[in-house]
Amino acid sequence: MSSKLANLASSIRQNRAFAGAVLMLLALFVLYNILHPRGFSSAVLIQNANESVAIVFVAMAQTIPVLLGGLDLSVGAVMTLSACIASVLVNGSPLQIIMGMVATLLAGTAFGFCNGLIVVYGRLQPIIATLATGAIAMGLALFIRPKPGGDVDGDLNWAVTNSLWDFVDTYGFFDPDAAWFAPVAWIPVPLLIILVFGAGVWLPFRRTVIGRTIYAIGSAEGAAYMSGLPINRAKIAAFTLAGFFAACGGLYLAIQTASGNADITQAGAYTLNSIAAVVLGGTSLLGGVGGALGSLIGALILRVISFYFRILSIDPLLQPLVEGLVLLAAVSLGAVRVFRIKNRLDLFR
Amino acid sequence: MKTMHVATLVVASLLASTSLTLAGPETVSGPGADPTCFAPWGDDAKYMQWPAQEGPYRIAVVNGFVGNTWRIQMIKTAKAFAEDPAIKDKIAEFKVVSTGTDAPAQLGAIEDFINQGFDAIVTIAVSPDGFDRVIRLADKENVVLVPFDNVLDTDAVMQVNEDQTEMGHRWAQFLIDELAAQGKTGGKILEVRGLAGNSVDRDRSAAIHDAFAASGGNWEIVEVVGNWDDGTAQKVTADAIAVHGQFDAIAAQGGTTGVVQAMIDAGHPMVPIAGESENGFRKLVAEHSADGLKGISIGQSPGLVAIAMKAAVSALEGNVMPQLISVPLPVATYDQLKDGENFWSDLPDNFFTVNEFPPCGVNISGPAIMAQSEADVK
Repeated sequence: MSSKLANLASSIRQNRAFAGAVLMLLALFVLYNILHPRGFSSAVLIQNANESVAIVFVAMAQTIPVLLGGLDLSVGAVMTLSACIASVLVNGSPLQIIMGMVATLLAGTAFGFCNGLIVVYGRLQPIIATLATGAIAMGLALFIRPKPGGDVDGDLNWAVTNSLWDFVDTYGFFDPDAAWFAPVAWIPVPLLIILVFGAGVWLPFRRTVIGRTIYAIGSAEGAAYMSGLPINRAKIAAFTLAGFFAACGGLYLAIQTASGNADITQAGAYTLNSIAAVVLGGTSLLGGVGGALGSLIGALILRVISFYFRILSIDPLLQPLVEGLVLLAAVSLGAVRVFRIKNRLDLFR
Repeated sequence: MKTMHVATLVVASLLASTSLTLAGPETVSGPGADPTCFAPWGDDAKYMQWPAQEGPYRIAVVNGFVGNTWRIQMIKTAKAFAEDPAIKDKIAEFKVVSTGTDAPAQLGAIEDFINQGFDAIVTIAVSPDGFDRVIRLADKENVVLVPFDNVLDTDAVMQVNEDQTEMGHRWAQFLIDELAAQGKTGGKILEVRGLAGNSVDRDRSAAIHDAFAASGGNWEIVEVVGNWDDGTAQKVTADAIAVHGQFDAIAAQGGTTGVVQAMIDAGHPMVPIAGESENGFRKLVAEHSADGLKGISIGQSPGLVAIAMKAAVSALEGNVMPQLISVPLPVATYDQLKDGENFWSDLPDNFFTVNEFPPCGVNISGPAIMAQSEADVK
């Protein structure tokens, strides 16, 4: 027991930034619910979860190239491209819907794979390569959906943007009022999607040789190479997984809005916000430190900050200023470690 | 654990009960209330009626993109109108948020206000699709959702807008008439378009093309994309003049001040022009109309927000409302421009001149909006 506690304590010590982000999120979210007239209700949780899914996935997508020490400027565009693909494919019979979802995720993953190939074999800096491929993704998105529209299955839209109760009720799997089901019926489906697709893919991946190689490349690429780690494979895998997560975000966005929209400004905003979320979640932009779960938390913090404008009376034209200040303060908390170092050289580690 | 259990049962039964008794507006037959202000869109307009609710009401404005003059002026107008004696007593709480061009954030904000128990939500949609879920929730809770300006491709909500097709037609017809007066029945037209992928841009452009095609003349229309922004429009116009040499007339959806500036910079002869309602454009037309810059200025007014708010209150009072409310086009041609009346030489170029809608009792004049500092409109 005591060894378990010690393990936990040391794991928190090693992931101080992550623990801090979780605490910040909890504090912000609890206060928001206290101030909200219908706080701590399933309805508010569903609404919060719904609007967070896309940015959470895009932030997780951004994390993996950042761990390599690069930036992926195409994540927002790949999300938009996937959403446009989904808006064409995700309808019809249940089998067609499932095939449409699979095809959407495959398309995004393939796009990420191409990003990886270009970075590795084109020997380009990720930031420049993905700037170009991001524009290609936007072009494809506009080609598929020159004007907003599409019809994603309405039942699917209702089922996955609500609580488990509605999910079961919509598809009639079993009686949603069954007594055994009641304790979990309130859980929002979007929250489960984040957990299953996000944590379910990331945690096992991180433990593989490829996953650990990504961290090694970010810390010291030369050393990783000398240690015989599969550098090229790891880089390609990193961008491929980023494409997969971005596609998850796009698929959800399409289902949530029951349509696709090749919105260039929105794609750009998501890319920039994903970088902010990565930093908030404790991942170093220099690479090698952090993780996708931190970015998940970071994206949620980013969202919760904007929730406050709906319950507090802040001048609408000052809201961007306030949001920026809060964000700056939140990011600065990550720099607190500077005060604790004994040797200035540690800063460069 | 037990309280959790009870809470979930309550939530579940609440959801169950509301999904059975779908509330929301009823489709009724017209005419609607106050038809001079809330003019129905076409003769076959649908009418809606919500159950009357006790005032005063809680109203929220959920804006999307913020950062151009039009949106800022819209927000200032909304706040000024909420303080207007005509409506102040009917509003208990008024909130404005801007979510940026982020569809999930805008949908979340609307849902948040529904959950907070607001009575009406006025919004500029970031996308013409994708609001099915919040419309369904708003109907459940009897919340009046009013998209305006960038409206939705649905007839399930009450919406407020100017007729973009009509606007495109008026622009093109004016140019055709002006060119006919010069003896031209054909020629090269420059069309400066707006933001790509937007329904407003689509409708205006289609109408311009239709009108020119209908005139039967031999027209060549050169399209460039100016994003409704002075800087962009100026650049693309300069490029178009450099490539094509000379145009017989120009139709600009927005950023018209920049378009005229590009003409002046390139030494392009002054030709008939159709454009938006920017103060700078009207200033330039007033100055150069004698040289041939014969212009028509039709504006999409930021004051639409005030009419949308008024329509929301009227719907909450239980009045019969048209599903699609058509706000008359504020038109000014070069011979109607008057300094201090429909343009202001002492106000900035990027100010939008049309804000008053007398039939609706919306009388917030341009200088009044600009005079308000942040502190005044709080």
